[in-house]
Amino acid sequence: MQREVGTLPLAPALRARLAAAGFQTAQELLDTGPGGLSKEIGISREEALEALRVVRQECHGDAARTAGGSGTTRKCTALELLEEEQTQGFIITFCSALDSILGGGVQLTKITEICGAPGVGKTQLCMQLAVDVQIPECFGGVAGEAVFIDTEGSFMVDRVVDIAAACVQHCHLIAEAQQEEEHRKALETFSLENILSHIYYFRCRDYTELLAQVYLLPEFLSEHSKVRLVVIDGIAFPFRHDFEDLSLRTRLLNGLAQQLIIIANDHKSAVVLTNQMTTRIGQSQSTLVPALGESWGHAATVRLIFHWDNSQRLATLYKSPSQKESTIPYHITCHGFRDVQPPAVSHSTAGTELNPRKRPRTEEEKQ
Amino acid sequence: MVVLRAGLCPGLTEDMIQLLRANGIRTVVDFVSSDLEDVAQKCSLSYKALVAVRRVLLAQFSAFPANGADLYEELKSSTAILPTGSPSLDQLLDSGLYTGEVTELMGAPGSGKTQVCLGIAASVSLGLKQHVVFLDSTGGFTASRLYQILRAQTEDEEEQASPGETEAVVCVQLEALQRIQVVRVFNIYELLRAVQELRDHLSQQVVSSVGPLKMVVLDSVSAVVYPLLGGRQSEGLALMMQLSRELKTLAREFSLAVVVTNQVTRDSSTGPLKPALGRSWSFVPSTRVLLESKEATWDKATTQRVASLAKSPRQPTGIQVELDIG
Repeated sequence: MQREVGTLPLAPALRARLAAAGFQTAQELLDTGPGGLSKEIGISREEALEALRVVRQECHGDAARTAGGSGTTRKCTALELLEEEQTQGFIITFCSALDSILGGGVQLTKITEICGAPGVGKTQLCMQLAVDVQIPECFGGVAGEAVFIDTEGSFMVDRVVDIAAACVQHCHLIAEAQQEEEHRKALETFSLENILSHIYYFRCRDYTELLAQVYLLPEFLSEHSKVRLVVIDGIAFPFRHDFEDLSLRTRLLNGLAQQLIIIANDHKSAVVLTNQMTTRIGQSQSTLVPALGESWGHAATVRLIFHWDNSQRLATLYKSPSQKESTIPYHITCHGFRDVQPPAVSHSTAGTELNPRKRPRTEEEKQ
Repeated sequence: MVVLRAGLCPGLTEDMIQLLRANGIRTVVDFVSSDLEDVAQKCSLSYKALVAVRRVLLAQFSAFPANGADLYEELKSSTAILPTGSPSLDQLLDSGLYTGEVTELMGAPGSGKTQVCLGIAASVSLGLKQHVVFLDSTGGFTASRLYQILRAQTEDEEEQASPGETEAVVCVQLEALQRIQVVRVFNIYELLRAVQELRDHLSQQVVSSVGPLKMVVLDSVSAVVYPLLGGRQSEGLALMMQLSRELKTLAREFSLAVVVTNQVTRDSSTGPLKPALGRSWSFVPSTRVLLESKEATWDKATTQRVASLAKSPRQPTGIQVELDIG
């Protein structure tokens, strides 16, 4: 293998010494052996052995590794990927308009970002997804578990109880209508306690804790292989306050994005992030844009922006690799995230249906 | 800087190397640039032997100048121009993507870089029946969207086909999908390893998986390089340059077209957009195309994009065309 020494994942100081000693390719390193190497560069024999082990792993591993190992290059043809995608499920959101603009729901193996002003419903959607990911397969779900990483402290368990109860009720209604054996069996395990016990909750208070948590997540996910959703509620919050060095922030965020993509890909789960909005002041006007800067926009594969239009909540699909941009209205009821009812019904019920815990947006308040 | 080793060339024995090393000559460069008479005296080696060794080493390790006319003939016969599947983009790129060069697509998030890459991959695989390697570092590759694009490109044939022929059309589309190989690389070392493996396959001419390869798409290079640059990390720039050298060698040696996508950043929140990865990277691609959305804000949905030429060896910069990525 004519792999250049500069491209091997060794420590920079070691790489510099190897270059100064005149080594160019990995093959030369392997030929020299640990004894010769430690003499030439002036490192201890253990360090030389360690370095050669890394080099050997990089160069010779491909023949020995089978497809699917965590270190291999993940290669496949587009046809195989198409077949995989067609059999993959989506995580539904219970709002059919939102599901249709997303192409079926929140996609597994991709990072979805939800941006919005405060109070528009980002955490509500996250909690809804944490419940929906557990819907059994016979009802159209992916039967997975959820990891909820909370940085803002906005996770309310009693609200999740409401949403889960409504979801179980919904499934019961379907089972009664369809009267199939597998539905009944699935409903035995799909209960409130079960749903709540399969949401793994982590609380991170600042960015170091968040980075550490994401770093440790792959191990956690390999132990709990049924996890199909990772929610990070409030990725902007720890990075926006108290950060002086902006270029460090960009670097950390980019590294975080790459780690999350690896997690999404290797464990076949969906990663959902929520972001805040900030104002960009232009020459003549100011616009509301997602926070964390220009480069963070590239991290998420799918980007949803939630905003208000008078008192109606709207969701816009802003960035997606497979769907067109579009906007739909949605509603947050006491049962969770739902479609907007057709106009004839909704006028009278709109006021009472809103979540009693959220202050309703009325005309008087806006003035 | 290659270390002198026994067997590097006939006449270079182990004893010779020990003697040379004792006098501070360790690499080929040291040997070739030293005064041989001096060396012969200090190491008590034969002057003739040293001159013979030097001649062989020079022949092995130095680059040879080529005649301009020969170079032109060679380029004419080995360069191909690949159509991108979009006539306006072809017009911008002076009739298409040139093999042997690195072309860069840059744009803000949601500007359509991945879509254009998918379109180009579909066009090369379907139209030219050549293999494409797609290196995906962002997780944005969606096979169902690629299939949609392929179907759009074979739309006319599908409409005119009778039931028996529709199967043949679908078969053609599935074959086109099989010619596109997707490799997922999420950090710089994986990327370097993938490029290295590709180079090995091509140089050994292993036909199995890669086939007659004409294009390599890397989406996106900034996702893997960004975390390495800046701060007190010293090796980020070196790794980026290693990567650029690998990509350029790949393009030049095997006559491939390499397409790379890049992000854009701003200096401040109101400054103009500029390509990411800095000045050093700006010398790597020979052609740079900026993709922008026609509307400035996100609340108006549109599939229209504007592509402008930011850097090109053949066309005047500043040309703009409109693209539809729908």
